[in-house]
Amino acid sequence: MSTEKSLAKGSAAPGPVPKDHIRLYSMRFCPFAQRTRLVLHAKGIKFDTINVDLKNKPDWFLEKNPFGTVPVLETPAGEVIYESSITSEYLDEVYPEKKLLPAFAYAKAQQKMLLEHFAKLVPLFYRIPSAKKNGDDVSGMEAELKEKLGKLNDELVQKKTKFFGGDSITMIDYMMWPFFERTEVFEVQHCLDHTPELKKWIELMLKDPAVKATIHPVETHKIFYKSFVEGKPDFDYGL
Amino acid sequence: MSTEKSFAKGSAAPGPVPKDHIRLYSMRFCPFAQRTRLVLHTKGIKFETINIHLKEKPEWFFQKNPLGLVPVLETPAGEIICESSITSEYLDEAYPEKKLLPSSAYAKAQQRMMLEHFSKIIPFFYRIPSAKRNGEDVSGMEAELKEKLGKLNEELVQKKTKFFGGDSITMIDYMMWPHFERTEVYGVQNCLEHTPELKKWMGRMLEDPAVKATMFSKEAHEAFYKSFIDGKPDYDYGL
Repeated sequence: MSTEKSLAKGSAAPGPVPKDHIRLYSMRFCPFAQRTRLVLHAKGIKFDTINVDLKNKPDWFLEKNPFGTVPVLETPAGEVIYESSITSEYLDEVYPEKKLLPAFAYAKAQQKMLLEHFAKLVPLFYRIPSAKKNGDDVSGMEAELKEKLGKLNDELVQKKTKFFGGDSITMIDYMMWPFFERTEVFEVQHCLDHTPELKKWIELMLKDPAVKATIHPVETHKIFYKSFVEGKPDFDYGL
Repeated sequence: MSTEKSFAKGSAAPGPVPKDHIRLYSMRFCPFAQRTRLVLHTKGIKFETINIHLKEKPEWFFQKNPLGLVPVLETPAGEIICESSITSEYLDEAYPEKKLLPSSAYAKAQQRMMLEHFSKIIPFFYRIPSAKRNGEDVSGMEAELKEKLGKLNEELVQKKTKFFGGDSITMIDYMMWPHFERTEVYGVQNCLEHTPELKKWMGRMLEDPAVKATMFSKEAHEAFYKSFIDGKPDYDYGL
């Protein structure tokens, strides 16, 4: 059962997940859920999607994930996995084709450390546009974001690789991608002015089949974001 | 090379890590570094410790971890791993004896989700004593902590197991232990009043050899914590 339209409070709980499938509870514009969608597509996994109305959450959804967030995975056995990085690692371990995490313990740890650094960057993508809207001075936050993006750029310069884990896409590239897809929406694209390697990486990512399968155009993101900021998020925009 | 006394600013950088060893940069009373120490002890890994003066950090330490935090692992090859959960997973993968993480992907995901829930409990251990010192009303925070600890207690009730991952100690037990070792120091032991299974779990943990090897007495914790609050942390207390 795949639906595009989001299920809200009062909706009937979906039935069990069909054999040989995995179900993803998602929201079409959520960058965290996009991480899981990227992994599902890259690994060629058969999955169904149920989009959830995140402003008016169904009670049955809160029983699946007490945090009430997407992404959430559910298996035919009724096993539930939530948190974007946990779902992504789970998928990579269960579905052996096209491994996204490296096999070596140290290389895996390096990817996790990079994700931890990136996690400190993510709040700036939200706080900067929010502060701008309130008319606050964002120069400090922008300087911080530029510095952190500069460090990411340096990683690519030092490694001399096309992607963050080598010359092929790996897990860390997919984990970071959704936020780079939204730099224009968050009005932080100028913070990439002095990060040429990062811009090259963005171009390479835009050619990846999983990215193409999950991406939304900038205009669509802008419309959703506007509705979100105005307090009436249009989770079903474009349907 | 193991030192007990902490290395401060101006100290000489340590040499390379000897073959067949792994080095841990630590602080004797740090609960996060204790996670890594628990894993090292329980897996019988040969390691040396360098304690860091966290108020007057040596310049060379920032070359190892730019964030300047412990725990940090360093291998003879000069590979650096930071962040308590990343170091712990790295050790479990690099040293195959006595696996602490389960082998099934779902069971592993369950442990990671439990750790995520626990990470929302940790701030209360710090905020409650801090607010008390400022003479603020802590009843709201205590109620929230009691509720969250109640949910942890429920986990054990439902699972009917001695530990959080089954009837033997696994990774999640070690990840949570250090903060439970400090409940009296933080003045939150009253929040465990209605969590009998959790108290039984604590009793079992106190019998574990790795816990015994890494723990400090309530008096030692209190002496350190007092020095910490007074702004002059005595990292070498007891030496």
